[in-house]
Amino acid sequence: MSMQSAVSRRQFLKVAAGSAALLGLAGCVAPVAPAGSSAPAAAVDSIRVLVVGDPFQFALEKIVDNFAEQSGVQVNLESLSYDALNARLATSFVSGASDADVVTVDQMWNSQYYDNQWIVALDDYIAADNATNLGDFIPEVLHSLNTWRGHIVTLPIASYAQGVMYRTDVYEALGLAAPPKTAAEAGDWTWDAYLEQIGQLDGQDVNGTTLHGTVVCGAQPVPVVHMYSQLGASYGARWFQQFPEAPWDFTPTINSPENIAGLAAYKQLYDRSPDEAINYVWFDAGTRFSQGDIGAFFWWTPYFYLIKNNGYMTGELSTIVESYDVGMLPHAAGRDPLVSLGGWSLGMPSSTQKKDAAWQFIQWATGTEAQKQMALVPDYNYQFSDFGRRSLYADADLRAIYPYLDVQLELMGQGNGKLVRPPMPIYTSLEAVYGLNINQVLSGGLTPEQGLATTDTLFRNVLQGNFMLPYQFESYNDTLESTQELIARLAG
Amino acid sequence: MRRIAATRWQPYLFLLPSFLLLVLLIIYPTFFVVSNSVYFWNLQLSPVPLQFVGLKNFELVFTATPFVDALRNTLLLAGVGTLLEFWLGMGIALLLSINLRGNSLVRALLIMPVTLAPVVTGFLFRYMYYREGGFLTWLLLSVGIPVSERGLLGEESSALASVLVADIWQWTPYAAILLYAGLLSISDEVKEAARVDGAAGWRLFWHILLPLVRPTAAIFVMLRFMQLFNMFDLVLVLTRGGPGTASRTLAYNLYQEGLANYNIGIAAAMTVLIVLLVTLLINVYIRFAFKEWEW
Repeated sequence: MSMQSAVSRRQFLKVAAGSAALLGLAGCVAPVAPAGSSAPAAAVDSIRVLVVGDPFQFALEKIVDNFAEQSGVQVNLESLSYDALNARLATSFVSGASDADVVTVDQMWNSQYYDNQWIVALDDYIAADNATNLGDFIPEVLHSLNTWRGHIVTLPIASYAQGVMYRTDVYEALGLAAPPKTAAEAGDWTWDAYLEQIGQLDGQDVNGTTLHGTVVCGAQPVPVVHMYSQLGASYGARWFQQFPEAPWDFTPTINSPENIAGLAAYKQLYDRSPDEAINYVWFDAGTRFSQGDIGAFFWWTPYFYLIKNNGYMTGELSTIVESYDVGMLPHAAGRDPLVSLGGWSLGMPSSTQKKDAAWQFIQWATGTEAQKQMALVPDYNYQFSDFGRRSLYADADLRAIYPYLDVQLELMGQGNGKLVRPPMPIYTSLEAVYGLNINQVLSGGLTPEQGLATTDTLFRNVLQGNFMLPYQFESYNDTLESTQELIARLAG
Repeated sequence: MRRIAATRWQPYLFLLPSFLLLVLLIIYPTFFVVSNSVYFWNLQLSPVPLQFVGLKNFELVFTATPFVDALRNTLLLAGVGTLLEFWLGMGIALLLSINLRGNSLVRALLIMPVTLAPVVTGFLFRYMYYREGGFLTWLLLSVGIPVSERGLLGEESSALASVLVADIWQWTPYAAILLYAGLLSISDEVKEAARVDGAAGWRLFWHILLPLVRPTAAIFVMLRFMQLFNMFDLVLVLTRGGPGTASRTLAYNLYQEGLANYNIGIAAAMTVLIVLLVTLLINVYIRFAFKEWEW
């Protein structure tokens, strides 16, 4: 044996480095889901559906076996929190792993999921299947929740607008004019009028309870943006120079006089709220109203029914259940009403091998029959009236349980979610910055002017860092009219 | 010759498993993070890195995220938290080392908070901090300490301290158990000899006991500092970094950028900065705390 068989330190390091590089490369190559044909629904035994833990999920759980009876396909529903769902979906999509066959999608995730080809457009499925009855969906809802770049990428399972909830007994006692119930009556129903009413309600003594005029959401970043963006948009605030109309220009306009006025009004509302509202997330604000010490507030329409309970979905009636009503959202003087639309939708991951069964489920769960069944589940004092289909608002059975459906439908008709919270690709990064600064304005750390000036600077940094400013990519003229054309085309 | 060759191979073969483990667990992830820190990669825009941006992500860490606020809070949390947990733990350990009635029960109970998941601790304290009816709020009000209407977690001046109190409750027992074990390892002869020489009370503790438990104490301080530097769970459950940035930590900032905003490039740059900072701080600490040790 010659000395050639001996190994020098350098040779060893070479071999080891080579092995390490191979290991590294192996790690770099993400497992790719096999592209291929989808199994026909008939051959599929079960599908996995990821849903977010929201009121609709509890109703869906109760009726999901009906789908299995009709289709022969079992549904494994898995519920996750908002953050957990988003993180899990992104991780699953990036790794190419097929984690679910149907996923719940927030409208703010549409651009990320569709542009990255993580979910597929539903256009072809809809066009090929008249049973979808696309024309029954409220166009404003589809525009706000479900379309991206001229495609329907999801369908709505729970659709929300924002409206006002108020104490009828207190309004009567104080002789205040009740918030209007129709758009036609709402000509004088401005935010100034609303603020005046809140001021009159604040500090009133009702049956030994001192009232707070209102309650707001203050927790950063998402809850406070959800509530404040409604007020800001009503005042005419827009996030960018031009979006969603083409050509897109993401130069921030967040520091506009309209937004400063809106944020100052929101601070006034916070000053008439319980101090601890600085930490309130969605349901904290809603359930505080049901405790009986709030005069009026505006929030997502699911709270029209959630506040019947004495806590968040407790199933026990609140003491104010007989003494509250709902009304239209105010508008800024001299401006058209603009309502924030949100909610949850179902989408189909591109990685699923069970596309036909997945579509069958999406169509069923967003269909008239299933939505009505969900609304008739009596648990938690009936916890679902978040319809995206116009026909359900005329259903006599549902109107008997949910007497506010006319108001809700009017609010939906004034909605445009893409103007209030623009679902551009890096929305969540901007929302984090925005929420942080609104929170600081509420806490008194910054004035509205300072808060929005800081937001503007950070928006620019984030947008430039993400190559969105100046915007050099493809735009799409994403208007309500273009959505209506899309609906007409797909509905045949 | 064959034997010579085999002998030459042997050390490397023995080293190979460790080397591969090192590559898999440390070198590859480090390389992955460092390489991503110089690329523009936002999962909201693309599933793959889009372009080389040099040090731009490092600049954005400071200009597009509240990194400085988070760093300040983290240093405060880690420094004050480690000190308080150490000294409170030492106090409990000294009490345990005196043979009092019920010590065995106390020792058994001490381990309980450590076994809880931090998320559970977070929820527990969240209820106790409630402005209306929360036990700790009630306690403070009962002894005449005012609590703002926003509650302890809602006030900028008390949010970070409230997170720290929850951590201290959970981890002081760990310090106590470790230091108690250290005190037990000191032989009675040493203590007796010190007493014969006139050392008692504070002098006995400062000049005899503390130097002898120093190895245990030094390890505890290092571990807890690093753990507190990575504080995430309690912040997520209790305050989500608020109000404003009052309780935002580096780990929470990282989570926000990486898993909420999906900006992998900026999150990677932030990770590099945090790793460098922790490594620097720990090495300085080691240089002083372990200077008399073989290292």
